[in-house]
Amino acid sequence: MTTPLFRKILVANRGEIACRVMRTLAEMDIASVAIHHRVEARARHVQMADEAVEITGETPVAAHLDIEQIVAAARACGADAIHPGYGFLSENARFAEAVAAAGITFIGPDAATISLMGDKISARNFAEVNGVAVAPSVMPTDDLDVFVARAKSIGFPLLIKAAAGGGGKGMSIVRSAGDLAEAARIAASEAQRYFGDGRVYAETYVERPRHIEVQVLGDGEGGAIHLFERECSVQRRFQKIIEEAPAARLEPGLREAICQSAVRLASAAKYRNAGTVEYILGADGRFFFLEMNTRLQVEHPVTEMITGLDLVRAQIELAAGKGLSLAQSDVRANGHAIECRICAEDPDRDFLPETGQVQYLGVPEEAWLRFESALDQAQKVTADFDPMLAKLVIHGKDRQEAVDRSIGALDDLALLGIKTNIDYLARVLDHGAFRAGELHTGFVSEHGGALASPEIPAAMLPQVLAAAALGFHEFQELALGTPQPYAAIGGWRN
Amino acid sequence: MGISLSLDDKVHHVTILRRHPHLVLVIDGEEHEITRLPGSGDGRGIMSIGGHEVAFARTTLGDRQIVRLGGRTFDVSLVDPFSKGGAAGGAQNVLKAPMPGSVIAVHRQPGDKVVRGEPLITIESMKLQTALPAPRDGVVSTVLRTEGETFEKEEVIATLEPETEDA
Amino acid sequence: MRKIQSMISTSSVEFRRYEAHNRRLIAEFRERQETARHARPQRDLERLSKQGKMRPRERIEKLLDPGTPFLELSSLAANMAYDGDSPSASSIVGIGVVSGREVVIRADDPTVKGGAWYPLTAKKIVRALDIAMENRLPVIHLCDSAGGFLQLQSEVFPDKYMAGRIFRNQSILSKMGVKQLALVFGHCTAGGAYIPGLSDYSVIVRGTGAVFLGGPPLVKAATGEEVTVEELGGADMHTSISGTCDYPAASEEEAIHLGREIVAQWDRPKKWDCQQETPEDPAYDPEELYGIIPDDIKKQFDMREVIARIVDGSRFHEYQPAYGTTLICGFANIWGYKVGILANNGVLFNDSSLKGGHFIELCNQNNTPLVFLQNITGYMIGREYERRGITKDGAKMIMAQSCSRVPKFTVMCNGSFGAGNYGMCGRAFDGRLLFTWPNHQIGVMGGDQAANTLAEVKVNQMKRNGGSVDEEEVRQLWEQTRSAYQEQLSAYYSTSELWDDGIIDPVDTRNALGVAISASLNAPLGEAGYGVFRF
Repeated sequence: MTTPLFRKILVANRGEIACRVMRTLAEMDIASVAIHHRVEARARHVQMADEAVEITGETPVAAHLDIEQIVAAARACGADAIHPGYGFLSENARFAEAVAAAGITFIGPDAATISLMGDKISARNFAEVNGVAVAPSVMPTDDLDVFVARAKSIGFPLLIKAAAGGGGKGMSIVRSAGDLAEAARIAASEAQRYFGDGRVYAETYVERPRHIEVQVLGDGEGGAIHLFERECSVQRRFQKIIEEAPAARLEPGLREAICQSAVRLASAAKYRNAGTVEYILGADGRFFFLEMNTRLQVEHPVTEMITGLDLVRAQIELAAGKGLSLAQSDVRANGHAIECRICAEDPDRDFLPETGQVQYLGVPEEAWLRFESALDQAQKVTADFDPMLAKLVIHGKDRQEAVDRSIGALDDLALLGIKTNIDYLARVLDHGAFRAGELHTGFVSEHGGALASPEIPAAMLPQVLAAAALGFHEFQELALGTPQPYAAIGGWRN
Repeated sequence: MGISLSLDDKVHHVTILRRHPHLVLVIDGEEHEITRLPGSGDGRGIMSIGGHEVAFARTTLGDRQIVRLGGRTFDVSLVDPFSKGGAAGGAQNVLKAPMPGSVIAVHRQPGDKVVRGEPLITIESMKLQTALPAPRDGVVSTVLRTEGETFEKEEVIATLEPETEDA
Repeated sequence: MRKIQSMISTSSVEFRRYEAHNRRLIAEFRERQETARHARPQRDLERLSKQGKMRPRERIEKLLDPGTPFLELSSLAANMAYDGDSPSASSIVGIGVVSGREVVIRADDPTVKGGAWYPLTAKKIVRALDIAMENRLPVIHLCDSAGGFLQLQSEVFPDKYMAGRIFRNQSILSKMGVKQLALVFGHCTAGGAYIPGLSDYSVIVRGTGAVFLGGPPLVKAATGEEVTVEELGGADMHTSISGTCDYPAASEEEAIHLGREIVAQWDRPKKWDCQQETPEDPAYDPEELYGIIPDDIKKQFDMREVIARIVDGSRFHEYQPAYGTTLICGFANIWGYKVGILANNGVLFNDSSLKGGHFIELCNQNNTPLVFLQNITGYMIGREYERRGITKDGAKMIMAQSCSRVPKFTVMCNGSFGAGNYGMCGRAFDGRLLFTWPNHQIGVMGGDQAANTLAEVKVNQMKRNGGSVDEEEVRQLWEQTRSAYQEQLSAYYSTSELWDDGIIDPVDTRNALGVAISASLNAPLGEAGYGVFRF
């Protein structure tokens, strides 16, 4: 048995991702430390951990963002590394710095890389410099004619927006050179009227864009590989709800180009850790750099499912300076994986978050299924944290099998007591456009009507009512509590 | 007899036609034979209804049943036929003082419609303020004590009358 | 137990003739029942609906658990009294299931003279409460009665088994721990006020329900005080001031709902452990009973054919099959319950009487309820039989039967004459329930025999007084006697006077007995022991 890379790791997170990280820690014989606010003292991640430290804060979220307290907790319990999970402090350069200053290993890139990628402008410039495609744009100028001339050169369609604005004011899409000057003039005058600043900005407009991202691993020395791409085009309220790997309907050449672009960026940044390079992909095959996430991604399991790799283990090994354990040519993709994010929300009311209590949790069990959650029966779901309750991750030999299995697993998944998007996710997966792989980030709104809760089928209604009626104690008594021989004689009258 | 259930704002009625040799429910006037009964508790169950085997999961939330069936989740609530409606509610017509005291505020006047549980009058007794709720749905008939007036225990402070149909 | 092998040919001319005859009788019975239950003057029905009231049978249907039986008792009580003015004796009584508990339901009928109690109404209510006492069955009273029918007060009010007995029985029931619930839908005036007053629980409907000893007119007449019904005895007064009633209800539906909730709080009775098997339908179709019962009371038929159409799987273990063959004795199951059956297959002789007495003792020893299927012309008479001690042998059977500790049930299948009625658990012998088939006749002797006997006496008298016999006068006397007898012999007269617990369709016998036996098990077995048998 080899010596563990770390003795004890504090997981600076909660919920499903904390549980997910701890599972790998247990496999690697590394002790785990959970942190928790008073309100989550009995949460699953606390129970799973070998040790737990209470952190305080006005709100639970505030506690989880308290750098000093968390670093102090790690020191106090003797942790030699901190895994930040995703969200909270995972992309906070100050945190990475504070952890390092305390002599503890931060499982992630160094603070400088986090800062570089955390700023949109610097990240974009870094990408552009290193040959990663970014969306062509024209910066605002005071001279409208100069602006129009420059804009013409980057091609169409173009999106013109007010440099100072937002909310769609002074925004327009221009599809041909002939319309450009007039559109720019109108946009500028609108911008002037609404924001008192007539300068406008233009960039290439990607119609029906797809969200494609590439999982990379970097050793911090310039060595980097990719673990293929993921598609996360199905989104609501600008958040992903269904992710898959590999992307649906992607030409092999294009896939290779995107993946190579990501490796180039990671390598150039001397990136250390697992990371994700996000792209926007147009119908015309052009793709542009969006941002790089310097942490584990929510949807990392779909990559794990097709590659058979454990990304948390990879993160820990990279943080320990063990370098990349495999070469690009060793990475193989097998089949197709889909992740559905189970959220406490009401899809019929614009995905408004819901609260409640998990009264019953029944999870289907299959070799090809991963259910990532920190849920327990009788657990209260409050507005304190993110509405994502769990992730259902499914593997299939191809996309069709993965879709069918996902629908079946969602059907079988019973998470009762809170309104969730489970039914909705199944409807998305079963939609013809999804099955055909016709995805783009506007999918949810484009198919809004078809995805709404359908009427209850006539044959199902009595089944539902019977199941409900027989669930009420008094009706059970009425139906089954009749003494003999009365029950057997039935509604006889003499 | 039987129960009324509400699903998606529609009321359905479920009753029992017979129990032998199998339970037969009458749901919205149609008969459905249950040849395999589900278990009684929360969780997963299987039932055979109308010749179809149906798997479902179910949980009780007070007077609601959350049923997951056929890949969909349904929120079915029990309708209490006597909780609403003009003259519904078996409670009394009179609002009596639970203890001696004085009236602090009168919230509803004669002729006002009220629903059960709505505060009618706030009283103060033993330095404690209490809002007296309407004992049932109806219309305020009389208010016998106004602000500042005192009363004894069990004294009638207000009376209600059933809401008339055409009101 | 062996299945009874039926000897009946359902295609025989005789079978078809009997069947046609009995179906006619059933049709007549159903028609009379329909009239008693539902035929009411339109005016009375309109008044009821104007008051927002349900008809009493609707109330019962809503009270009962859905899809469960209701064994109505004495549906044709008073059908031959008061010129038919008191259908079902203005009262509905039966055994059914409410919130999973078996109960006696007793409802006033406001569609008849405001629910006023006739003499036979009082008798029917007293009987209902007797049934409740004997079987320890909770009672639900559905009250809606104007009080005693004043024109006949002398037959309603004063005697031991008249109206006062109702309240006495209510009190004793409560003392026995048998629960009573009153749902007050209409007025409970005078004595009727004690029904909710003596019930353990009561619900009263606001607006229509009222309870008082004297109504507003009586109060005005007595003291000059003017008072409204609501003030005097309405729902809010009684549930908030007097405490006479427990729960106010806004409607009849709510009262029934509350009533069901109240019953649901009651403990479930522990029944005594009668031997039981899984119930099984009879192997022979009970409808064949119509072709088995002859079209003439004088014709004999094999009671085994009747047993085969009542008991589980038509199986019967016959006791002493070769001895005393005019009385069939044996064990069978009805709706799973083990019973001992005694059924007449002819006149009772010495041996059949001794066999019957012995079999009754066996059933008492074995905790087996007794079912008597009567078709009896009496104990054998004549010098030879008296010399053999037919009277003391009959007395043994009566002694054994009277002192039985197990519950007893009687079905009057065809005829019940003379002392045979006694030996076979007639009305006087405290059977738990007694049912009559529509074809049945009952009397101390048959109509012909009675007319013959009286004519004989008359002729002897004429001879003593003058010598000449007026043939015409004798003939008239014979006719009158026979016709008066015939009317009183009929099942309708019998049930009108509450000599039974109701006429039933023979096909319903199995269900009626099933409910009756189930109900009887609520009361513990009686004391063991007998009086002095004359040997």
